[in-house]
Amino acid sequence: MSNAAIISLLVELLQDMALAAVPAAGFAMVFNVPVRVLKYCAMFGALAHGMRFLMMRAGMPIEWGTLIAATAVSFAGVWLAQRLRAHPKVFTVAAMIPMIPGVPFFTTIIALHHLGTRGFEAELFSMALTNGLRTFFIIGAIAIGLAMPGLLLYRRRPVV
Amino acid sequence: MSEKTPESNTSHRAPLTLQEHRAATDLCLQTGILLMQHGVESAFVESITRRTGFALELDRVDVAIMANAITVTSYAGPHSMTRVRRNEDRGINMHVAMEVQRAALAFEAGEIDRAKFEKCVRSVKTFRYPRWLVVLAIGLSCACFARLAGADWIGCGFAFVASAAAMVTRQVFAHFHFNPIVGFFAAAFVATSICAQALLMSIGTTPRLAMAASVLLLVPGFPLINGVSDMVKGYVNTGISRIALAMLMALATCAGIVLAMSAWDTWGWVS
Repeated sequence: MSNAAIISLLVELLQDMALAAVPAAGFAMVFNVPVRVLKYCAMFGALAHGMRFLMMRAGMPIEWGTLIAATAVSFAGVWLAQRLRAHPKVFTVAAMIPMIPGVPFFTTIIALHHLGTRGFEAELFSMALTNGLRTFFIIGAIAIGLAMPGLLLYRRRPVV
Repeated sequence: MSEKTPESNTSHRAPLTLQEHRAATDLCLQTGILLMQHGVESAFVESITRRTGFALELDRVDVAIMANAITVTSYAGPHSMTRVRRNEDRGINMHVAMEVQRAALAFEAGEIDRAKFEKCVRSVKTFRYPRWLVVLAIGLSCACFARLAGADWIGCGFAFVASAAAMVTRQVFAHFHFNPIVGFFAAAFVATSICAQALLMSIGTTPRLAMAASVLLLVPGFPLINGVSDMVKGYVNTGISRIALAMLMALATCAGIVLAMSAWDTWGWVS
């Protein structure tokens, strides 16, 4: 990889992370996350989305990238939770919001609606199925990634 | 700090009187219901409720969480007591969850006494961000989503305006105590109608991306994640009910989108 390619990748990565940090903090405000925890939501949101961006660039499927990014954020969340003495879900869920497949989710339902009103069309059906499966697997990956510390390390004891 | 199994609270002390037993059970329920009302996952509610019970010198606490109620059975000496409390959803509020949990942990560790813990749980303040600030933040968030999807600046501007208007709609409907499903439907209609203008007049190069991004504030992300988390941790009942509710919200949102698209006769999502 040439220098120019690395620099352009870095710029794209930073842009991706900055664009993910804003919705993470914005949605954290809808969830009424305390003010002093807000910056961690933004940070973790940027971290997760940036990791997924890099892994997808390296050719990894989006679902596996999401799982690994969510796992990483979840472990970072445990570290922070023990310092703040608060459950990690207080800030990790907001950090996951930028990775939630909202557009595929709604596309699935709208395509299903069209299937119902217009009758069967192969293109609509494949659209509903692909988007629906993508939504299903990504949300599963996020939730299981977030549960990872509990599944692997904190099996019979609470995180805080 | 290890989680005690139900049978393991075996320190020797004077048995609780009936009144003390009742008060302790009530405080336990109050702690659990506060967490439940503000949208945290079931495993967390159960763990904190049980630990609070042990800290209140109960011998054993069993917690059963249902979709809209919590049951606590507490044991003190030869007596047991079962209480149910109905849960009414107060919306996601991580601030309350954090305050309650910190108070419970401090009480468990002996850092605050019972009176202080009780005061904290009974009179926890529901902190909320100012509405205009949330509207602004959501507008910016959806503009960022549009940009992430590759929209141009005009598209981002439309996503900002449309999602901010949708957030205002949602707040107005919530203010008048409409069912959230109605609010989501109306908000989706407003956002899609605004973005449909960009599509109708061909403003910018990416009006479709703006249209998709402007309703992302209506994705029920928190209940979806919590629902799957609940099921992973063995609380299949509450998990299913959370996901069912999230699906209903998404259906209402899509109904709003489809209605707006038919009203303006522009088909942005699926051509």
